Amino acid sequence: MEYISLLMFVVVCAVLLLGFPVAYSLAGTALIFAGVGVMTGGFESAYLHALPSRLYGIVTNQTLIAVPLFVFMGVVLEKSKVAENLLNAMTQLFGQYRGGLAISVILVGALLAASTGIVGATVVTMGLLSLPTMLKQGYAPSFATGSICATGTLGQIIPPSIALVLLGDVLSSAYQKAQLNMGIFSPESVSVGDLFVGAIVPGMILVSLYLLYVVMVTWFQPHKVPKVAPQASNVSIPQLLNALLPPLVLIFLVLGAILGGFATPTEAAGVGATGALVLALIQKQLSLTKLKEVMLNTTKVTSMVFLILIGASIFSLVFRGYGGEELIEQLFNSLPGGVFTAVLLVMVVIFVLGFILDFIEITFVVVPLVAPVLLAMGIDPIWLGIMIAVNLQTSFLTPPFGFALFYLRGVAPKSVKTTDIYKGVLPFIAIQIMLLIAMAKWPNLVTWLPENLYG
Amino acid sequence: GQEKTSSDPAAQTQQSYQWKMVTSWPKNFPGLGRAPETFSEYVEKMSGGRLTVKVYGAGELVPGFEVFDAVSQGTVQMGHSGAYYWKGKAAAAQIFTTIPFGMNAQETNAWLHYGGGMELWREVYKPFGLIPFAGGNTGVQMAGWFKKEINSIEDIQGLKMRIPGLGGEVFKKLGGIPVALTGGELFTSLQSGAIDATEWVGPYNDLAFGLYKAADYYYYSGWHEPGPVLEFIVNEDAFNALPKDLQAIVEVATRAVNQDMLDEYTARNNTAMQSLKDTHNVDMRALPADVMKALKLASTEVMQEQSALDATFKKVYESYSEFQNKVSQYHQISEHEYYKNRSVQN
Amino acid sequence: MNSSSLTTGLQHKIDLVHQSLCKLVSWFTLFMVLITFLIVVLRYGFNLGWIAMQESVMYLHATVFLLGAAHTLKVNEHVRVDIFYRQMSQKKKAWVDTLGTLLLLMPVNCFILALSFDYVIKSWQILESSPQAGGLAFVFVLKTLILLFAVSMNLQGLAELIRNILIIKHSQKIDEADKGEV
Ligand code: NA
Ligand code: NA
Repeated sequence: MEYISLLMFVVVCAVLLLGFPVAYSLAGTALIFAGVGVMTGGFESAYLHALPSRLYGIVTNQTLIAVPLFVFMGVVLEKSKVAENLLNAMTQLFGQYRGGLAISVILVGALLAASTGIVGATVVTMGLLSLPTMLKQGYAPSFATGSICATGTLGQIIPPSIALVLLGDVLSSAYQKAQLNMGIFSPESVSVGDLFVGAIVPGMILVSLYLLYVVMVTWFQPHKVPKVAPQASNVSIPQLLNALLPPLVLIFLVLGAILGGFATPTEAAGVGATGALVLALIQKQLSLTKLKEVMLNTTKVTSMVFLILIGASIFSLVFRGYGGEELIEQLFNSLPGGVFTAVLLVMVVIFVLGFILDFIEITFVVVPLVAPVLLAMGIDPIWLGIMIAVNLQTSFLTPPFGFALFYLRGVAPKSVKTTDIYKGVLPFIAIQIMLLIAMAKWPNLVTWLPENLYG
Repeated sequence: GQEKTSSDPAAQTQQSYQWKMVTSWPKNFPGLGRAPETFSEYVEKMSGGRLTVKVYGAGELVPGFEVFDAVSQGTVQMGHSGAYYWKGKAAAAQIFTTIPFGMNAQETNAWLHYGGGMELWREVYKPFGLIPFAGGNTGVQMAGWFKKEINSIEDIQGLKMRIPGLGGEVFKKLGGIPVALTGGELFTSLQSGAIDATEWVGPYNDLAFGLYKAADYYYYSGWHEPGPVLEFIVNEDAFNALPKDLQAIVEVATRAVNQDMLDEYTARNNTAMQSLKDTHNVDMRALPADVMKALKLASTEVMQEQSALDATFKKVYESYSEFQNKVSQYHQISEHEYYKNRSVQN
Repeated sequence: MNSSSLTTGLQHKIDLVHQSLCKLVSWFTLFMVLITFLIVVLRYGFNLGWIAMQESVMYLHATVFLLGAAHTLKVNEHVRVDIFYRQMSQKKKAWVDTLGTLLLLMPVNCFILALSFDYVIKSWQILESSPQAGGLAFVFVLKTLILLFAVSMNLQGLAELIRNILIIKHSQKIDEADKGEV
């Protein structure tokens, strides 16, 4: 029976590739398997009756309420031109230095990614805003698109991030389960807040490495990086502050509310969204029409996310009914080489799945299956969460299927060749892999801050 | 076929039954979560394998708060949970778990099994097609973990605490702010100060949860949960389909687990308390007498308000408080007096 | 009126109803943001708090994604793995969507509807209220949203079916015309 669950996994991947919406591909395929199983006596129909309870569990899940709140915040920032203003100001500030624009793009992208956390939005916005300017100034297309793509995916890892909210929810139950399976009855918990804190150091390292790379290119491959725009140096300090403050204020609001004990992580998302609204109002960028667009976009993204959740829940119910969990446990238990091999295997699998699945699907379909087993081996849940997040971020950058590449391709001018984009992201992928290796070698990079922050 | 064998007692003893049990806790969660596993082991042994019960942790098959519906609908045959989670379906259910300043474990068991409590419980669950059994008890809990000292009623005012159920209503009456939190947010929120206090269970579970890392003061006693009863619920049709001997095995196994959990908590709590005090230097304190008095007064008010809202609640509460009144008179001269006497230093 | 324009009319009606519904519930996202902010301000600024207020955000949230999903389907914003899909012809895309709607989407919604019906009715019979003390008393309404979700998704599925079959028919006509010219 257990092997049917494996077959189900293979079939669902094939169905997904046809391109029908993911949520229904997952749920529909699972139901067909269950239906055939019920008719042939291989599947107990009682499992299916758990469905309404599972749906209601999703409807009432308190942690996930952070999702629409963060999405709202991100869409407000996108519509209110916060990013655009910021980029213009930074360009004027750094414009007269060689590579200045690229540095601006990375810094702005990092700030924007931090405050929104929506990969697609960041890549598209940065692509629309900065790619034409970079090309006009004479940046090599590969270098320009690579920087934009890589920066756009930072939203995954720099808190606050929806990816981490969702991962936190899944990991916290996986962690409970793992500890109890280990027989050591110390059900400590890991929360979204812990993941946020754990992501701060790796996120900063990543941004620093990106900047370092830009400086090195400027130094060693000056033909890729023009010296430019003497007219662009007359930015006033108030203008700069005006542009720089909004995203900083928001990050400070959200993280400050959580760390300072003013709000739970979910509530902090609401604080951030309100902050974004206020900023947009102050900057006179919020008309009723824009507000309606924001609300409608938020509704659509939220529906999309939660429909996948529902699909994944139905899939995993049937998967469990066929004994899939036992199968995965057996697989991991029979692995030679212990913890290292297991982590490596999971990371490779997630990396490959990142080509065809969105992070939401990976978080809800794959992580619940593998995380309890890994955590039961004694792995730190915060470390695992950040490793998965960075790994997915890398996967989204990797040609030919990376999602960030699709997004940028969508908004890049025809003159930019797809192969330029592919070439451009390679160095950034190398940087990401370096970070992954570093985190594997020195887990303290992730765990030190959470352990010491609360004293 | 099954229908035919059920009329033939000899054949019936050959038939085997595979049940599923969903629970409101992670599998093997210390104390609470061990009960379903223990039950399953007992039943399998006693029945010689004719009745097996596969246990699912919270969220594996259905979320923890969906146990009642899953058993009621017949998705699974039984569940392990706490009756006070079903307040939204039947207000009276709360009383079968515990009420603020209510009876302790020994007294509640007496009420349930010899004071008419169990009959009322069955009556309340009957419309849902469920048969309840007492399924364990944690004993008197602790008042909770506080980041601030509680020296007077003023210290309760504006205090943000995770305290669910009727206890939360009472706490609110004194000016406290009950906050609803998920398990995953609880620890971080207490650590960061997003909440000032939380109740949990008692030393055994609280030590394991690491709450001493997030708050300095550990207050007693658990006025809000003086002897919470957990429950096994069995789908009526599934139960009736069992032959008499297996029915008896189910019933006896629940009784055994009910006592077993109290024994485990009594043993583990006292060792965990030593560890909290000696190894982790936790400041353990009694809530001040005037705070307790105010809480007691507010509790009586809350119980009267709730009784006015729901006739069944009123009926069950009357039975409960009448029993409590009488049993406390006796325990005043037996248990209470004895505790006092044995602690006299020679 | 022929049958084709009847079905197109039905499809447009479904589209319009769901569009209005989505616009309506989209306001709830704003309310969610403001109420959450208010909860924080009241709790930390004024020492006030109500469980019912915390729960109201959950109710709004559930309404948003359960009733906004149909229009999201209409505007094609439910994420797809579009490695191959994006390169397909209009006609092939229409085939994928037709088959997907018939074999995946509609069965799933029917199944949710069938299995959840009793579950929701039972909640109505007891007018189920919150499991939390001081919580909202409308759990039966919240549960009913699951049924409404399944119904609206199936209706939208019907609209998608009509739209895609028309695309297939239309492109067949074009194919035939092309052949005729050759
Ligand atoms: Na972010
Ligand atoms: Na408790």
